[in-house]
Amino acid sequence: MTAAGLNCVDIAASPGGSPVLRGLSLQIVAGGRTSLVGPSAAGKTTLLRVIAGLQPIDEGRILVNAVAIDHLPPHRRGIAMVFQEPRLLGHLNVLDNVALPLRAAGMPRAARRAIAAERLAEVGLGGLAQRRVQGLSGGEQQRVSLARALSADPALLLLDEPLAALDPNRRGELRRLICDLQEQRRLTTLTVTHDRSEAAELGQRIALMLEGRIVQHDEPRALFERPVSAAVARFFGVANLLGDRGGTLAIRPEHVRLDPLATDRRGVVLEAVYAGDHVRVIIDCDGRRIHAHVAPGAAPRVGEQTGVEFPPEHVWRLPSTSAAAEEATPT
Amino acid sequence: MTEPRGRLGAALIAALFSVPLLALVTRAFADSWRAPALVPQELGLRGVRIAFSGETGTAFLNSLQVATLTVAIALILAWPAARVLGERRLRHPATVFILLAAPLLVPSYAVGSGLTEWFIRLGLDGSTTALVAAHLTFVLPYVTIVLLSGFGPGLTTLEEMARVSGLSPLRRLALVSLPASAPTVAAAALLGFLVSWSDYGSSLAVGGGRPMLPVVLLPFVGADPQVAATLALLFLAPALLFLVLTVRAGRKPL
Amino acid sequence: MSGALLRHPRVRNYARLAPAILTITLLFGGALAGAVRTSVLPLGQDATLATWRSLLHAPELGDAALFTLRTALISTLLAAAVAVAIALAVWRRGTWVRALLALAVPIPHLLVATVAVLWLAPGGLAERVLGALPITLVRDRAGLGVVLVYVYKEAPFLALLLLAAMGQGYREREEACAALGASASQRLRWVTWPTIRGPLVVGSIIVFAYVLGAFEVPLALGPSYPPTLAEYAFNATRGDLISGQSTAAATLLLTSVAAMLLAVLAVRLAKDPQGD
Repeated sequence: MTAAGLNCVDIAASPGGSPVLRGLSLQIVAGGRTSLVGPSAAGKTTLLRVIAGLQPIDEGRILVNAVAIDHLPPHRRGIAMVFQEPRLLGHLNVLDNVALPLRAAGMPRAARRAIAAERLAEVGLGGLAQRRVQGLSGGEQQRVSLARALSADPALLLLDEPLAALDPNRRGELRRLICDLQEQRRLTTLTVTHDRSEAAELGQRIALMLEGRIVQHDEPRALFERPVSAAVARFFGVANLLGDRGGTLAIRPEHVRLDPLATDRRGVVLEAVYAGDHVRVIIDCDGRRIHAHVAPGAAPRVGEQTGVEFPPEHVWRLPSTSAAAEEATPT
Repeated sequence: MTEPRGRLGAALIAALFSVPLLALVTRAFADSWRAPALVPQELGLRGVRIAFSGETGTAFLNSLQVATLTVAIALILAWPAARVLGERRLRHPATVFILLAAPLLVPSYAVGSGLTEWFIRLGLDGSTTALVAAHLTFVLPYVTIVLLSGFGPGLTTLEEMARVSGLSPLRRLALVSLPASAPTVAAAALLGFLVSWSDYGSSLAVGGGRPMLPVVLLPFVGADPQVAATLALLFLAPALLFLVLTVRAGRKPL
Repeated sequence: MSGALLRHPRVRNYARLAPAILTITLLFGGALAGAVRTSVLPLGQDATLATWRSLLHAPELGDAALFTLRTALISTLLAAAVAVAIALAVWRRGTWVRALLALAVPIPHLLVATVAVLWLAPGGLAERVLGALPITLVRDRAGLGVVLVYVYKEAPFLALLLLAAMGQGYREREEACAALGASASQRLRWVTWPTIRGPLVVGSIIVFAYVLGAFEVPLALGPSYPPTLAEYAFNATRGDLISGQSTAAATLLLTSVAAMLLAVLAVRLAKDPQGD
């Protein structure tokens, strides 16, 4: 196996007294980009803070490029972190803010300002070097923050919901910027986001954290279409979990086909709510509720009878573990 | 805050406050406590006897009266002004703030001496009016400043709600404004009371010989430690009481 | 017509401010005016600047001024140093520390002075516990006891100012710099100091201006010579019957003006382009 860029082994941490991370393990290949998702208060930010050294761990090890860092103070771990707020220093101009990590490393002023200017240009803010940070917009400030992190030339880049405070139009640009810069540098990156679809773009792989551990870490398609458990399925919007003799079947609402003429499985439409680009339909099928997303033109009406089809290529059987079987509820 | 450092810090600070208090109490009741003994040789009420044989009782009552009047008047005058300032309704508040801050920088003795001139002409020197007026000069700014921190968008929102619900101005004041600002009013009252209560300079200058507690206390400091300690405890008592009451009032639910 | 005027928001604001503002203007202005008047009108005489002249030529005034300035300077510097130490030590802790510090604020200076004498005078409790003190702290020529009292009272006040400044996003910036490679001492220089510098300077100037007017504390435990400016004024009132009050008024006026000018300086510095 290639050397892991980040390797967290069995981490336990309890900030504020109660355990948040329990036996958490996560590996990212060197140069890889992973998004970390999970319900709020699941411990995502805690994990990032623990890796950065801003919070202590009770147990476990953290290795970056095979070097253990868990006993080192934050400034010696070779990481850089971008937070939800820009956290820039108000008394310095933009360029000096970006140059801060270089100054910390002892680089003389002229050299570090030159490098900082390069980083600033990379994030598209080349002309703003002399400006005060207070005058910048939220998106610009966050880019400065990103440039600052990059100038630290870290072995690992951590981003804690970097786009959450930006308005939706700005998010797309910054998202692409992050991905581009990461790929150019082959910088091992871990990004926390609460947005499932953003996670798919921000990460070559997605890690889902539930109750303090990573339950699945895989390419985005896998989490959306081949979840390992009912909990994962529900988080990624697989609303249909059907128990049968062999275990649990999962199928996404988008893949359910409604055919008025089909005879295998029939049911009555309970709800049909227009949601812009699709209609959310709920069908009562032998006492079970099936969720379907249907194109607006083809949507049935409430009270109608219709046939429900599950195209076999989209049906996924959850891996059978006793936990998975318990969690699936025949609704 | 349960980690050992936190507890040590708490213990340290608690000691910093309680040890001097303990020393005061012990000294006040030690008729004889010659060096280098760490414990008094003789306990007794000599301090109390001497302290109260003079003008102490009168001084206590005078100081109490002046402080209470001063803070009451200050609160009434300060309330409307603090509302304007706290809710940022002024375009150029700087001038007002300068006016509020100036009396606080100048020694209260200077305020007192400057005003005495006029009080003598008006035949008021030594009167309660004169003392209250002199104290008001700096108590009013303190009270205004503390009070304005309790006013702002929070309170105005509540009052708007009350107005929309049909409450008359008087009922709004009684049922919404006062209870909501109670903690701040309590803090302002406490500070105002203590500033007046403990003022030495202007009480000396304006008092015209009228006994006030800090003025009675000072000569004993260094001269007769036991009496000084007794008077100091007396000096401290209303402040402590007021503090307890204010904390209680501040905690009362709406 | 007046109804509409009264309902105008500006007028209502001024009307609300009026009672307090007028009272302060009347009283404070009156005090200053009274002081000026007394300083140029010695007892039973016509207006003259003689008092001012003899005051400004009196060598004792110079001694008093120097002593007052020195006391104020040392008290302020020490209080500032202690305040910074306190702030750095406790900024992570919860609000209970701030509450405790705030407790020190309403304690009267005179009370602190009383306890100080109890502890620090020759034969006092400190001597009994620790053995003879190496230096005199009460009624000493250097006025160290006075300095101690002011440091004890003003350091918590300054610490509270610093802690308030460290409340706004300070922790976040500090963390961010740590996560970018800045060591603890670098963070102190690049994050902490810029954050506390403003309130520390302004607060210190205010403390300095306040201690300039030191009166009852030096009366209680300061040296009999040199006196502080306020003490000098007080002594004058017990001296020459004719010019005493006049001299006192002039001295106090000088002190007051100095204090107010310093405060203006503090405000100017606070509005410095080095951030708000």
